[in-house]
Parts: sequence; structure tokens; C-alpha cells
Amino acid sequence: MVETWKITLRVYRQKENQESHFDDFQMDVNPDEYVLDAVERAWAFHDRSICFRHACHHSTCGACGMRVNGVEKLTCITPIREVTHNGATLKVEPLRNFPVVSDLAVDMGPFYRKMEAVGARAVLPVTEAEIENPPSKWDPDDSQYIRLSDCLECGLCMSACPIMATTPAYLGPAPLAAAQDQGLRRKPELLSIVDCEDGVWRCHSAFECTAVCPSFVDPGRRIMNLRTQVVDMKLRKLFGKA
Amino acid sequence: MSKPQVIIIGAGFTGVATAHDLALRGCEVTVVERGDLCNGTSGRTHGLLHSGGRYAVKDKESAVECIDENMILRKIVPQVIEPNGGLFIALDESDLAYAEQFIESCQECHIPLEELKPSQALKLEPNINPNVLVAFTIPDGTFDPLRLALAFAGTAKHHGAKFHTFTEVESLLTDGAGNVEGIKALNRASGRSEELRADVVVNATGAWAGHITAMAGLDAPVKPTPGIMVAYNQRFVQRAINRLNAPGDGDIVLPQRRMAVVGTTSFDAENVDYIPVVDDQIKLMLERGSELIPGIRSAKPRGIYMAARPLVGGGSGRSIARTFKCYDHKETHNVDGLVTITGGKATTLRAMAEKTADVVCAKLNISTPCLTKETPLLSYRSYYTTPN
Amino acid sequence: MDQTRNQPSARKFLSWFIPVGRQVGGWAFALSRVTAIGLTFYLFLHLYVLRLLALGPGHYDEFLKLTENPIIKLGEWAVVAAVFLHGFNGIRIVLTSFGVGVTRQKQLFYGFMIAAILVILIFTVRMY
Repeated sequence: MVETWKITLRVYRQKENQESHFDDFQMDVNPDEYVLDAVERAWAFHDRSICFRHACHHSTCGACGMRVNGVEKLTCITPIREVTHNGATLKVEPLRNFPVVSDLAVDMGPFYRKMEAVGARAVLPVTEAEIENPPSKWDPDDSQYIRLSDCLECGLCMSACPIMATTPAYLGPAPLAAAQDQGLRRKPELLSIVDCEDGVWRCHSAFECTAVCPSFVDPGRRIMNLRTQVVDMKLRKLFGKA
Repeated sequence: MSKPQVIIIGAGFTGVATAHDLALRGCEVTVVERGDLCNGTSGRTHGLLHSGGRYAVKDKESAVECIDENMILRKIVPQVIEPNGGLFIALDESDLAYAEQFIESCQECHIPLEELKPSQALKLEPNINPNVLVAFTIPDGTFDPLRLALAFAGTAKHHGAKFHTFTEVESLLTDGAGNVEGIKALNRASGRSEELRADVVVNATGAWAGHITAMAGLDAPVKPTPGIMVAYNQRFVQRAINRLNAPGDGDIVLPQRRMAVVGTTSFDAENVDYIPVVDDQIKLMLERGSELIPGIRSAKPRGIYMAARPLVGGGSGRSIARTFKCYDHKETHNVDGLVTITGGKATTLRAMAEKTADVVCAKLNISTPCLTKETPLLSYRSYYTTPN
Repeated sequence: MDQTRNQPSARKFLSWFIPVGRQVGGWAFALSRVTAIGLTFYLFLHLYVLRLLALGPGHYDEFLKLTENPIIKLGEWAVVAAVFLHGFNGIRIVLTSFGVGVTRQKQLFYGFMIAAILVILIFTVRMY
């Protein structure tokens, strides 16, 4: 028998030139289905005016990021069981630090501009993107294989970052992680972009980005490593090796 | 002389590829989408860049379309593809019996394939079923659904196309004689209705094609046919793994980022807007997926989802051809100004767009040839970085 | 589209001190900031007191009377606590900035805070 819970889905509503508010929807849900399924059902059967972004439903497109009970989640892979219980409320709000288009949908424009500015790689050799539990007998010459990079450009890290909350000028976790991923020795033109007040030095180690990343990017670690790379590049310049 | 105005309803694969083609041919294109890009069937595609091997035996037309478009997409939009090829593997007698017709058909459809001994297959892919009897390599691939669409949409935007998302078509504007002149749409973000006029309205809503044609009093022969996908939390393989046999349920596993996605099933559905996941089908994917990759049995599902394919023509389920159909309703029902494109599969999006744009341009007396085969697409991020 | 709502803004710095919904790193971040403000306030207070003392010996006796006040005693304890909490978390930040333990920053926080609490307890006993 499929378990059924009764929950209140509390959805953030924001239409143009109107005050924002929350709408409550009483719903019967299977706790093993995902938060996105509940939102989609609320749209399909309760209120067709709800605006939200979603595409792949399996954590590859990065479209469905929202705050679920205040915490950034990729709603397509977040089981309802994980974030609420029978009889309780499930609150969904748009990501922080992005302009709201409507309801749960935000404008990804400024964020994608930053990712483009650092030339974030969308595909890369498999050997450059680590995989947990790799099959033990893979050929070491796996670099011929290409795979989509870990970063989904979902924006959860940008929403969770406390520094990002205070200024749009800060590059942010995902762009910095993307710069680290390419390496300053390989792409020295990135040095001036990340070595500045609003670049790698603005991070104050809250590690909220790493905590909410749904895709193994660990932006916090990458930002710290990028600092090492910046110092490395500057030393090399100093000693005439760059 | 102002440019010809075209409205495209639907920003799934067909809509964005058609916008790209028409924009390149000099039309002023407006795409209207009730949600955001790919929020319908297209977003939830398996993500298989088809080599056509799956269709070679029973549906050669589809198979040739696939292999041709596969090669084109690898050239024009590599940024969204894991181009690592694929395997068809035989695990039992029934599979083995299929091999001969499979080889012949692939050759007939110019799908390059190579036969591998079990030891060779296992060396390439150590995690596939160790009881593999024979394997064939074919040029499959995996793509990112949303980013494929964004690349087309961004390039279209760069050439002047406009995208109105969260804008739902409420009715078609018609002249006195029932011909379509435009649309009336509700912008769900602002709550305001707007009227847009155009020389041609393209109905690219896929599984929802009938919903739009109904607004002109017509029906479209599209049969929404959903299927399930289960994405597991480990990659297991570098290339697509297909079951060597006639197309069936759960016979494809795709690597994508750090996941392995098993698909799919095929059944009828009435309500296309929301298709609930069926537990039995999850179990079926686990069973069938584990036959191909035993490790799946101990992996955890990361995402489970359903979406409705738009299948055209008579018959039901897997027997319907997966080709696409473009209808100029002036010819079908004497209703001018409306063209419907439906059917097809993700891999053939560019070809569907070319056919549709040919039909539209013939109606508008535009003689510019299709440029999309050779035009590399801009970065998928250009959809967001190009101002509307 | 309302372009101003939900956007980054400087006054959202107040959210730094209220780590609701945050995880371990976010709480450490908030703790460092709260203790930093407390210690900065203490620094100015300390300088003010020193200035008082520079004015003459009579002021020193007045100052000693003040230090008997239980609220001041609590304040002194709070300064000690803040120094160790802020300082040990600071060491954690330095380590992670050099890539040391950066994938185990949560455990580092727990470890350093336990150490800080132990040291604070020792100081508490010695002070009172």
C-alpha cells in the first residue's frame, strides 16, 4: 500500500506590482514522492496561476531550486519525507538573492552572466570530474570520455551564501568554483576576475554553499583552493615565471 | 518592408528549434510558453542522443533521421552532449536471435556499428552484466535536456526571437472566415492578457497539440503516451547501454553526470498536465535496469518522473512510428494561419524545425534556405545573457 | 517583474547574526560575527577605562569598586568566552583557507568548540 500523508503546501505568491503572500493548499501526498511533484500537483489541480521553473526532474538541469522550509533544495530530488511529516506544513519559497519573476520562478540572468564571464565548463573529460565509487576496473585512459560537469548552475549556493545576500557585486560560490575548476595556470586571464575585492577574497567561510549544493561541487573547498591558485600565480609573476 | 511575423506556441524542443530556424531565415519570431522552457515533455526526456539503432529494424525512416541528426547535433551543439557512444548488449537467446536483423538494418540505415566479443565489451564497460553474450557499439550519446533547448533558444534570441514565458494562450484570434490571425494570451506573472498578431501561428505544443487546435475547432492526431524514468545515484558506465532486442520497457540505461537513468515504459494517459508515478513501473525499471547493469540493484533512486511523449498516427504504444508530422491546417481543414508540428523525438528536433520552417516559409513566400545544419549554436547561457 | 524584491542588499547583513535554517558553517559564521562585535565593543570599553585610569589614582579606586559589580563580573567572563570562541573558530578559518581540513570543516568546528568550551571552563573555575 502506498503511504499517504496530509500536508499543507504553503506556496510563496508574488505577482507584478502586488504584495507577496502565501497560499495554503491542503494536499494528500505520498511521502516518497518529491517536493516538486507536490508543487506540480498544486499547479495542475488547485491553482493554475502558480509560476515555477522545472524541466528534467532528475537533478541535471538545475531549474527547480527553491527554499523548502527555509533551506535551499533541488525540489526534484528532495523527497517529501525528508523535509516534513504527516499533518505538517511544507513551505516553498523562491531562491534568495535572485530577482523574482513570479511566485517561485526567479530570473537567472545575472547569475548566468557571471558563469559565462568565468567561462564555466559545461562538459569536461571524465577524469577531471571525480566520481564517487568509480568502477574499480576502469581503464586509466578514461580521459577520452566526456561528461557533463557536476555544477548544474542551479543557484542554490548563490541563495545560501550570506555574503551574496548583501551585494550583487560578489562573484559568488558557483562562478568562483567554476574558475577554480578550470585552473588559473590553464586560464591565466581569469586571475584578474577572481583576484579582487568582489572575487575570491570576499568569501568568509560560512560553507553554506557546500552545505546546500545538490551536486557534489563543494564550492567552499574550491574557493579556498582558488585562493591558493591566486597566491601561486602572483608568486610566479613576482619571480618571473608566469 | 517589415519582417514576416511568426508566433510559436510552446518552448519545448520543437518550439525552440523552430524559433532558431525561422529567425535565421529572417522571420520575426515570438515564442509563447505557459511555463518556462522545457517544463513539459521535453524537459523529462531520457536524454538519449539516438544513433537510431533502436529503430533500425522496425522503423527505418526514424532510424535514418536519428543517425543523421545525431551527427549534426554533435557538430552544432557539443556543449550539451556526453558523446561517448553506446552499446547494444545481448543477454539471452532471444537477444542473440535479434542480432542478425539488427546488424543488417543498421547497415541499411548507415548507422556505424562494430561487433564486440563479451571480453571486449566488459573491458570497455566493466559494470555491465557479466553474462553478456555479444555487444555492438553504436554512436549513441547523452545530452542535457534543458541545455539543449537553451542553446537553440539563446541562438534564436541572438537573431531577434522573443520569448514570453509564463504566458498561456487562452484563445486564437481569427478573422471572419475562421483563419488564425494571432493569439490572446494571459501573462501569468503579471496577470494581464495580451493580444499578439502574426502571419503564421505555429502550434509546437507536442503532447498538448490537440489542446491548441481545439481553439480553432480542429483536432490533432496526437496520442499522449507517457513513460517512466528512474535516475539512480551512481554513474556505473560511460556510454548508453541498450538491450539488444525489439524495443521494450526499461531497455535503456544512460549515464548522465553522476547518475544512471533507466527508461522507459509506454502507456495511455488522459490528463497530460500531470501524470502520477506508478509504483509497479518503478519496480520494473529496477528489474530491467539491473539486468543490464547489476549494480543498479544496490543503487538508490535519485529522481523518478513521468512525461507524455507526443505520438502521432494510429495504433497505440510502441507500434506508432516515432517520426513527426507537420500539418498546414489550410490543407487539412481549410483554416489558414495555423501550422501544427508534433510527434518526433528529442534527437530529431532540428529536422522537425526544418520541416516546419519550410512549411511556414512556403506560406510566407520566403525563399531563404534552411541554415541550421551548418550553423553552430551559441553557448546555452546566451538564452539568459541576451536581453529580450 | 519586480526587480527590487528578493535582491541582494547591504542591509541584509543583519541576517548574518540570525542563522535560522543555516547549517554548521553558517552558525560558526554567525558566532564569529557576534563575538567579533562583542569584542570590539569590549575593546572600546577597555580603552575608555584606561583613559579613566590615566586621569589619576582616585579613579583607579572607583574602577575597582565597579569590578565588584556582578554584571561586570559576568561581562568579564563573557569577554573570556568570546576570545576563545572567536579565536578557535578563527584558527579553523585559517586552516580551511589554506586547504587544511576544508572537506571536514564541520568536524573542525565541533572539535575546536569543544576545546574552547573546555578552556572556558578552566578559566571560569580559576576566575570564580
